Amino acid sequence: MLKNILAGVALAGSLVGGAMASDSPYLTGREQLLMLADDNPAELTQWRGEDLFHEVRGPKNASLERCDFGLGPGVLKGAYVRMPRWFEDAGRVMDLESRIIHCMKTLQGFTDQDDPIARKHSSDTREADLVAIYTYVASQSNGMKWNPPMNHPMERLTRNAGEVLFHRRAGSMDFACATCHTTPRKRIRLSFLPVESNVEEWSKAISWPAYRIGHGVVRTSQHRVRGCYYQMRQAGIQFGSDASIAIISYWTHQARGGVATLPDLKR
Amino acid sequence: MNKQNNIVGYALVTIGMVLASAALIVGCAQPRPDTQAERDFSRMSPEAYAEYLIFRSGSFNLDQATQEGTTAADRMTQDVLQRMCSEARNRPQPELAVRIVGAARDSIVYPEGGIQLGDWRQGAELARSGTGFRIGHNVDDHSQPVGGNCYACHQLDPDELGFGNLGPSLAAYGALRGDSEAVRKFVYDMIYNPHSFFPCTQMPRFGVNQFLTQESIAHIMAYLLDPESPVNSRHAR
Repeated sequence: MLKNILAGVALAGSLVGGAMASDSPYLTGREQLLMLADDNPAELTQWRGEDLFHEVRGPKNASLERCDFGLGPGVLKGAYVRMPRWFEDAGRVMDLESRIIHCMKTLQGFTDQDDPIARKHSSDTREADLVAIYTYVASQSNGMKWNPPMNHPMERLTRNAGEVLFHRRAGSMDFACATCHTTPRKRIRLSFLPVESNVEEWSKAISWPAYRIGHGVVRTSQHRVRGCYYQMRQAGIQFGSDASIAIISYWTHQARGGVATLPDLKR
Repeated sequence: MNKQNNIVGYALVTIGMVLASAALIVGCAQPRPDTQAERDFSRMSPEAYAEYLIFRSGSFNLDQATQEGTTAADRMTQDVLQRMCSEARNRPQPELAVRIVGAARDSIVYPEGGIQLGDWRQGAELARSGTGFRIGHNVDDHSQPVGGNCYACHQLDPDELGFGNLGPSLAAYGALRGDSEAVRKFVYDMIYNPHSFFPCTQMPRFGVNQFLTQESIAHIMAYLLDPESPVNSRHAR
């Protein structure tokens, strides 16, 4: 009986999903998200980010148009789905958020104390410039397939260490990222959980930036990593740190070949 | 003879491990470079690099004070169970599973005067609350009671629709099983250290980790087992 009910629910889910033709509850379980997908408020953030990206700002009176996101200065198309990557000029593997900050410093002359860099996350009253620029640059990879490079040894070591971190249980609740993201079709309360081994779910799940309906603002990859370590009762992770980039490197690798939705809309 | 060979083999492995850890310690003693480019990580295993990332790369706020009076570094340090289950990806081979179950049974401390049920009303609150032990950017205030957050993963009161399903449904738990000594002991053990029955389960060790107090465990157990509790009373309707 229960099995029949569950099968019915799954069927209804796939019908609602319609065009997606998926039976993934993560992708189709929230009608509300599917209905709103074409009117994503993150587009407003993206447009503001576009203006900020081209605006001449900072002590060096420069725009970010010469910023190199890995495909050459100023090339934005497809740059984000090929990150994190090794940057020779910085001597480290960087994710998009770290790379934007790098360019705000080197091209525009901003420092860590200046608001455009210091304000990492948006609040109810103020959207972070960094989030807006991130949303614009990421949007230039919308619909493309995740394909982070693994040519440099540090890119591979970073991804592999990210996998270790993903499965590493610690803290007051013995949790790891894997606790919530390895078993299919599970929920925390009413939130469906994406599974790292399911490319269809995972490529959408890691599609940050996303407008978080519950937060009322656009959130980023770094914000997601911070939230997970917080809920796991582990130590606070530093924005843009090597460990945070290792996690992002692993999760992007797991989405390889899946389509990026940028910006996305999430619960 | 065979046994002797084994012993020699173990000795060699042990010497190898000592040398390896000595090399690691020497490696740690070197001053920390500024960038990934300045340090040769090429010989590091992913596991060693992951440990480096946690404890020596500045990636975590390790000095932050915790509610239990330690620092965040202690939260990141794995105990034996966390390490073994992480390495086994939570699927321990039979021998390891037996060892984990045995150690888990030994870890359980029972309340003086036996396992008593508390107040299911307070248990209902604790089962819903996710407050407690979070640090980082928004530290949980422990003047509020620490919750068990049972509903994140389990169904309990059938009228509560906001329940997760990482764990099994516990609706009508007591109504279906009664409230015998054996049932009480099982429920207590599961809350205190669930690895005593399910080695490398995803469920937290609420007792071993001192996440829930004895009083809170008693309230949550009442919520599960008391016939008056909505977890059970609605079953009869």
